[in-house]
Amino acid sequence: MIKKIERVRAGEKVFDWLLLLFSIGVLFEAYRIDDGLRLNSAGSFPIGLALIMIVSSLAILFSHRRKQRDPTILNAAQEFKVFLSEHFKTHIIVFSIVSMMYLAAIVWTSFYISTFIFLAAMFVYYRQGKIISSLLIASLAIAVIYVLFTMVFRVYLP
Amino acid sequence: MTKPLFTQMAIAIGSIAMAGGALADYPERNIQGTIQWGAGGATDNVIRSLTPHVEEILDTTIVLTNRAGGTGVIGMNHVMRQRPDGYNILFGAENPQLYPLMGLADFTYDDMHAINIIGQGRVVIATHPNSPFDTFSELLEYAQENPGELRMGGTGAGGLPSTIHAMINSVSELDVRTVTFGGDGPGVTAMLGEHIDFMPLSLSAVAEQIRAGRLKGLAVLGSEELEDLPDVPPITEALPELESFLPWGPFWGVFVHKDTPDDVKATLEEAYEQAVASDGFQEFLANFGGEPLNLSGEEAQQYLDSWQSVTAWSMYEADAVETSPEELGIPRP
Amino acid sequence: MSDTFSYLLMAWLDPGLLGLTALGVLAGIYIGAIPGLSVTMAVSILISFTFSWDINNALALMVGIYVGGVYGGSRTAILLNIPGAPSAVTTAFDGYPLAQKGEAGKAIGLSTVMSVIGGLIGVAVLAATAPHLADLALQFAPRDYFLIAVMGLLLVSSLSGKSLARGIFSVALGATIGLVGMDMVTAQPRLTMGSMELLGGIHYVVVMIGLFGVAEAFYQLHNMAKVPVKQNVDKIIPPLNMVLKFLPLSLRTSIIGVVVGALPGTGGDIASLFAYDHAKRTVKNPEVPFGEGAYEGLVAPETANNAAVGGAYVPMLTLGMPGDAVTAVMIGALVIHGLNPGPMLMIETPYIFWFTVGNLALANIFLLVFGLTGIKLFTKIVEVPKAIMIPLILVLCVVGTYSLNSSMTEVYWMLGFGILGYWLKMFGFQMGPIILGVILGPLLDESYRQAMSSVGNSSGDFLLGLVTNPLSLVLTSVIVLVLLGNSPLKGWLFTRFKRD
Repeated sequence: MIKKIERVRAGEKVFDWLLLLFSIGVLFEAYRIDDGLRLNSAGSFPIGLALIMIVSSLAILFSHRRKQRDPTILNAAQEFKVFLSEHFKTHIIVFSIVSMMYLAAIVWTSFYISTFIFLAAMFVYYRQGKIISSLLIASLAIAVIYVLFTMVFRVYLP
Repeated sequence: MTKPLFTQMAIAIGSIAMAGGALADYPERNIQGTIQWGAGGATDNVIRSLTPHVEEILDTTIVLTNRAGGTGVIGMNHVMRQRPDGYNILFGAENPQLYPLMGLADFTYDDMHAINIIGQGRVVIATHPNSPFDTFSELLEYAQENPGELRMGGTGAGGLPSTIHAMINSVSELDVRTVTFGGDGPGVTAMLGEHIDFMPLSLSAVAEQIRAGRLKGLAVLGSEELEDLPDVPPITEALPELESFLPWGPFWGVFVHKDTPDDVKATLEEAYEQAVASDGFQEFLANFGGEPLNLSGEEAQQYLDSWQSVTAWSMYEADAVETSPEELGIPRP
Repeated sequence: MSDTFSYLLMAWLDPGLLGLTALGVLAGIYIGAIPGLSVTMAVSILISFTFSWDINNALALMVGIYVGGVYGGSRTAILLNIPGAPSAVTTAFDGYPLAQKGEAGKAIGLSTVMSVIGGLIGVAVLAATAPHLADLALQFAPRDYFLIAVMGLLLVSSLSGKSLARGIFSVALGATIGLVGMDMVTAQPRLTMGSMELLGGIHYVVVMIGLFGVAEAFYQLHNMAKVPVKQNVDKIIPPLNMVLKFLPLSLRTSIIGVVVGALPGTGGDIASLFAYDHAKRTVKNPEVPFGEGAYEGLVAPETANNAAVGGAYVPMLTLGMPGDAVTAVMIGALVIHGLNPGPMLMIETPYIFWFTVGNLALANIFLLVFGLTGIKLFTKIVEVPKAIMIPLILVLCVVGTYSLNSSMTEVYWMLGFGILGYWLKMFGFQMGPIILGVILGPLLDESYRQAMSSVGNSSGDFLLGLVTNPLSLVLTSVIVLVLLGNSPLKGWLFTRFKRD
């Protein structure tokens, strides 16, 4: 059986280091619950889980030694470039920013207005025009949500 | 002939509509009701059976949402942060009166306006039928000879069993292992399987089990026997000193933001008083094992204050809490 | 006896009850399919709504919604990789890959038939053994729940994919998320970082919607160029030989479902995880590997979570104790209607028991009808262009999360989990183990501490209890066997043996 040597993805190592840091942070927070280690208390499980997270993230980092780097990536700067081009394409960035604006807008305006604007804007952007049909689909979606959530289930939407 | 009749009718309809409009100032839209505890619990049951009566009186819809978590802090915090217009109502249990004492939050029902204290639950200390104890005195005696051996079911700090335990400890000594459950239901289930020895519970959670002989009552928290539970002795038989804390029970109430306009408060108070007094709800409450109170205004405030002072001081005297009620401005009972 | 029979058939013969059950099932399918709208919520809304109704009518509607809702979760799991409810998480593992191959119709058809089979077995077990099963369920001490949770943790090896270290990390991460909030025993805030909003903890549905829904939306953005697969909708109803082939597996997983459902501390979500794991362990040579669209991976959780419905009614109808969140609300409904749910319910009002049994069976028949109609329309969802689907998924996630607790903070958390899920997915982590951790973490913590308190915090007595009590001994042995069967130790022994 020949094992295929897995490639490390761009940014994977950094991400796994971040997980280790996060686990240490959790351990710190967990330790603060009881200010100590006890067998049966509020802090026992959080501390235990944090330790498991630290050990397993160390194991993940260790497993990188068996993997191979992409031979085309020579240095950190280049890896960063590959990482950026892979995950930060324009349409992903636009979606992320507009989604956050949308969530913020729900509180400011109301759910239905912001949702309509969000949907319409995203449809027009992704379908490159087709404004009329985009507006129509957005209105239809709003109508369905209104009937289902506000009228039938009486869910209170902001 | 048709025309004048038509005009008359139009005027009549118009005036009715106007009169209706004046009355319908509040509530003119749906009211959001927040229940402090989860679906299926005692508070939830009481509120869900009361609400249809209120909806009928106020001629509106009350949209009920369960916002459980954090001994009720989450739900109360939510309602306190809404606009004080009477469109956000809190349905809660007794717990907020102890928040500052337990260090859970810095607010109590004093920071809200009580619309109605609906009623209070009766409390019974129960055990499984194979238990060697028949009364609470026997159990107490055994526990004092064998400290730290019996297993008591609890629902966590600030829950009903912990309060009862503290009350008992403030006049006597009851050293047991506390096994904490997520609520009355899981506790009763564990007791049915004999995984715990006893548990103080609200009557509504165990009445049926006792009636069927699946559990047995050791004592009722009161100075007299209960009609629904014959042969279960009052707790004062074992601990006469508890008399000074009684009558005591977990309660359910309706609250709004303190800054709600007075006329809205009055409308709500009237509606709830009428609804709680209705035959349908009283019948439910009796069947549910609750004791009707129907207090509002000054009476409600008095009830809340005295409940807080009795409970807080007994917990402090039993060393169940570190903060002194005095520091929080809670007078001695 | 004739009474029992007439109670059983009550819902079948009364056109009003028949209609309400049908309506309930239909509504339930859609409630279940939308993440965030839960059966618990729908049933508690119905309490106020059906307050003045006759109790039978109210129960018929609720039973219908319950049965339909548990099934409905699989719809979105298969079509969009967004489980509509936690008990459908495992359905997504193999259901979504099937949809990606153009077999969404077949997957929904198979899951419908299997759900009905599971549901009917659940009802049969309820009718035949309720009092005994309830007594068995009562025997489970906190210690045994702890062992069940540990057993659940062992599933991580089935759910981790290639890297076990990543799987273990994910489970621990999930369990940590599950523990956030006020401690149940001491009321201390745990891992809340001083936030008032976090005192109540992070609802696991919030985590689920984020990790599956939003992460899926981002993942699809990443592969924007990929065109949605054309769905084959010719053969929706699974052929008889296929059903027969999976019948032995579905019988086993249904039994797992009923028993786990009958335990008051566990429900359909845990049942479906166990069933999936069972299928993965016992089916050695599936036509397609698990996780890539194995039918067995669809059959197991779908039978188990619907069988768990029958199980959940066991403690409710025999003892008046809830088997899960939905039956807890139904007990409330009985109380409000003036009945006294408790051990006397079966003796004083036996018709409630038999009426519910008959009604559950009827609801499963309606499930078969409604589940198999309209599939063609549903599968069209997969064919919707991504440009329209992705924004809609996000809106659905927002509405779903908000309707849980009406909290915007939870919506922000949901988005946060979505972004985290995207990165985890990118770097080889699986979502399954995280959800496993979120579901099992609190159970593990709770039961461990109950068990320790029961023995006066003596770890010696605690360990002794694991092997001296008969029930605990059985559970401990299962754990040891699974560990031995799984561990590198076995592989090591095996290779040595071969070498010699």
